Amino acid sequence: MATVIAPVIEEYAGGTIAREQVGLWRDGFRRLRRNRLALAALVYLVVLVLVAIVAIFWTPYNPATILPNTLTYLPPSAHHVLGTDELGRDLLSRMMQGAQISLIVGVGTSAIVLTVGVVVGLIAGYFRGWVDNVISVFINIFYGIPGILVAIVLYLVLGRGLGNIMIAISATAWMDMARLVRGQAFSIREREYIEAARASGAKSGKILFGHILPNALGPIIVQATFVIPIAILTEAFLSYLGLGIPSPLASWGSIASEGYQALPLEPYMMLWPAVALSVTLLAFNFLGDGLRDAFDPRQRR
Amino acid sequence: MTDSILEVRNLSTHFFTDDGEVKAVRNVSFSVAPGETLGIVGESGCGKSVTAMSVLGLVGRPGKVVGGEIMFRGRDLLKLSKEELRRIRGRDIAMIFQDPLSSLNPVLRVGYQIDEAMNAHDKIPRDQVAQRGIDLLKQVRVSDAERRITQFPHQFSGGMRQRAMIAMGLSNSPDLLIADEPTTALDVTVQAQILELLRDLNEQTGAAIILITHNLGVVAGLCKRVVVMYAGEIVEEGTVEQIFEAPQHPYTWSLLRSVPRIDANRGHRLLSIEGLPPDLIDLPQGCKFNPRCPFRVERCFQESPPFEQVAPAQHAACWVTMARAYADMGAANIKDTSPGAASGIHPAGRKLPVAEVPAAVAEPVGD
Amino acid sequence: MLTRGTLIYIAQRLALIAFTLVAVSFLVFITVHSLPGDAFESDRVHGKALQLLLHEYGLDRPVLVQYWSFLTNAIHGNFGVSLQIRGLPITPLVTRELSVSAELGGTALLITIGLGTTFGVLAALRQNTWVDYTLTSIAVVGYSVPSFVLAGLGVLIFSYWLPTITNGVISYPAEWTGTYGTLVELSLPAIILGFYTSGQVTRITRAAMLEVLQQDYIRTARAKGLKSTVVTVRHALRNALIPVISILGPLVISIITGSVIIENIFGIPGLGKRFVESILSADYNITVAVFTVYALLIGVANLIVDLLYTVVDPRIRY
Repeated sequence: MATVIAPVIEEYAGGTIAREQVGLWRDGFRRLRRNRLALAALVYLVVLVLVAIVAIFWTPYNPATILPNTLTYLPPSAHHVLGTDELGRDLLSRMMQGAQISLIVGVGTSAIVLTVGVVVGLIAGYFRGWVDNVISVFINIFYGIPGILVAIVLYLVLGRGLGNIMIAISATAWMDMARLVRGQAFSIREREYIEAARASGAKSGKILFGHILPNALGPIIVQATFVIPIAILTEAFLSYLGLGIPSPLASWGSIASEGYQALPLEPYMMLWPAVALSVTLLAFNFLGDGLRDAFDPRQRR
Repeated sequence: MTDSILEVRNLSTHFFTDDGEVKAVRNVSFSVAPGETLGIVGESGCGKSVTAMSVLGLVGRPGKVVGGEIMFRGRDLLKLSKEELRRIRGRDIAMIFQDPLSSLNPVLRVGYQIDEAMNAHDKIPRDQVAQRGIDLLKQVRVSDAERRITQFPHQFSGGMRQRAMIAMGLSNSPDLLIADEPTTALDVTVQAQILELLRDLNEQTGAAIILITHNLGVVAGLCKRVVVMYAGEIVEEGTVEQIFEAPQHPYTWSLLRSVPRIDANRGHRLLSIEGLPPDLIDLPQGCKFNPRCPFRVERCFQESPPFEQVAPAQHAACWVTMARAYADMGAANIKDTSPGAASGIHPAGRKLPVAEVPAAVAEPVGD
Repeated sequence: MLTRGTLIYIAQRLALIAFTLVAVSFLVFITVHSLPGDAFESDRVHGKALQLLLHEYGLDRPVLVQYWSFLTNAIHGNFGVSLQIRGLPITPLVTRELSVSAELGGTALLITIGLGTTFGVLAALRQNTWVDYTLTSIAVVGYSVPSFVLAGLGVLIFSYWLPTITNGVISYPAEWTGTYGTLVELSLPAIILGFYTSGQVTRITRAAMLEVLQQDYIRTARAKGLKSTVVTVRHALRNALIPVISILGPLVISIITGSVIIENIFGIPGLGKRFVESILSADYNITVAVFTVYALLIGVANLIVDLLYTVVDPRIRY
């Protein structure tokens, strides 16, 4: 019958994917721009990053300098904008350093989780078979272990340090990502253009990274964004317990811990890290929410 | 219209969305006599479902009925309070929907859902509800009803689920049953069974039925009168014989020609209607079908044709009407398959007011 | 409901739990035994005395042998003895502290679910109104603000300000005095923990409810002429709770994680506090024991959740 609509897949994989993808990104960013909360969060985070970068080169005082007794527990003033702590160290400088640490730990952990999780997930989801079985069994067994416990133990084994804390936290976090990616790989694999690509002789690696990964990118990015606040929180908590970043480095968590001791005396000390942590975590959560809503394929009209 | 149980007059329903005001249903009027079977036909998006939902007040945000009257037993349904309307739903007017799997609550037993329909109203006494539920299932020809009634929807087959929905709809012996695409989600053989069931129930219970569908074959099987909708308006209405044998609106005519017919000649060309329905937010002037109409004239662009009588008990909204189009083309009626008539082009090669003849009309059937 | 299939499923899951426990305890055991330092460092024992001590506790044997004896003992419920507090049997210690943690966690779980589902349903029913925005914001605050911040804030409000303002009428003890029946006697830590994890429940419930309300069967229920409260509760809610049950497992994990934090902040004698202490004092027998107990808890909780599914959703059968 001559009046049938022309088939959708005229040129194979290449054309169709490009069209699908470009649409998703443009659509998503447009929707993200409309989400004011996410935008505000993004602005705040950009400012935070700038502060952290500045702190590499300059802080009002040296965060580790201990000052004489008379200058401990000072309330905010012109000299010390956020006051001083129990050893007379300037809180603003310490908070700036804390910003660096939180961001590095957060983003670094997310990067590790991203790499490991994506690779493992893609392999498991695409190749299936016994590879998938082994990986899945492994993940299912350890999935339920609270990340914090593992992080504590692992961190002590590896020894204190920024890099090690990132490794310790990602030890359980990657599994969530792997699961997500595996699921995505599973479903994307079944789509026709993958068959077309395979039929035309494309190699597995090319298919994995050229076709499957780009299409799964949305949820992956969202998940990676949500890992950051979890990592920051875990690090803060470890530092709060005294198990985290060693002094004299200042982490928001350790400042908070010292602040809790001083609560009746000097509520400011706990206030700064509390606010900083809360707002930063909120910001990442809002951003993640915004990204998720923006890239949700179901919402495309 | 004498003695109709439902009379819809100038119903308009619009959707107030972020992208604009979608005028989904505009000035729709029709009526249903007691015990009558009426079909509402049209393509997806023409407003037939929205019309039906408006009758029962089921149109959700951002939709809203913006005008008209819906007279049922002398009362305007649009003016009733929420509670009064609720009492009519399921009791005097019942509605069943397209996909019985998603239309039945998966976590509740089928029997429970049927009984619920009865318990929500006061027509059937409490002590009879359970037994009536079983009897209803038997009436809709579900075998092993006593056992089936305790099962969950996912344990039923597609056809059985639709029957259960029909049972639910008829449980309170309503005056009117509105069926929104009841067979679309089913296999062809099951479709036929469901239609036959509806026909029998119509005869047995005397309930009027409004059947909403895009499938002409379904309409022919069940309905006595037909209303054709396009882009939110009614473009034609008449008895089922009139619509099938002498359609007057080009849209109806096109619809019929796009369906393969066993009794057609070999040279009979199958029509596909080119183009797309109009934007319901930004409606064009004039007749809404004109961009796709093979018989349009200058006037069709400028003014909307009124809905007028073209034959006894048949109305259509068209400046040209098929009767005149055929006369122009030198054919007697739709069954005339002489070459000139079948082509849809004026034998003198008279050009239509816009660029070219719709390409689809000129495509030959493969030989 | 207790079909043969279900029983087989339970058996499979129990086997999986057992396997997990072995795997986890093995890994933790090996890991902690590779940590530098030991429990006796603080006692400043050296040389021969140290060797004797090590031998007495079997710490001079190869790791695998040590693990084997641990495993065989553990199966009988004997987790060995503490290294820090000489000779103190671990099992009764852990059991006692488990009950404390369970009390804290259990109360928190009730608060979480109660608060979370109520807020979520309300927010969904009043979507995009101020009710929705307020409740959603509260939820976001709940899971964004770190628990030790909430703890500090909570202590400030409930243990200092409120009692001062109301002259001691409303006062929540900052120390652990156990948690009892009525609302007033709930202690602050349980409230904070419960509130902290309720944010997730609120979001899920709201999302689930919104999705359910779009479903066709809700339209059918309305078309049948059911009253709107009936539609909401009997039809919508029952279906909306299914996704909520699916996060019960992760929720228990969240509560456990949270309890580790809260116990350490408030000094509550539960498993979480014991865990951290054991790490700090290198009392690794306890570390392994606590870890294993947690793994067991989580495994059982997940199994119960999966069984709960069959009750709520008739489409699911094992």
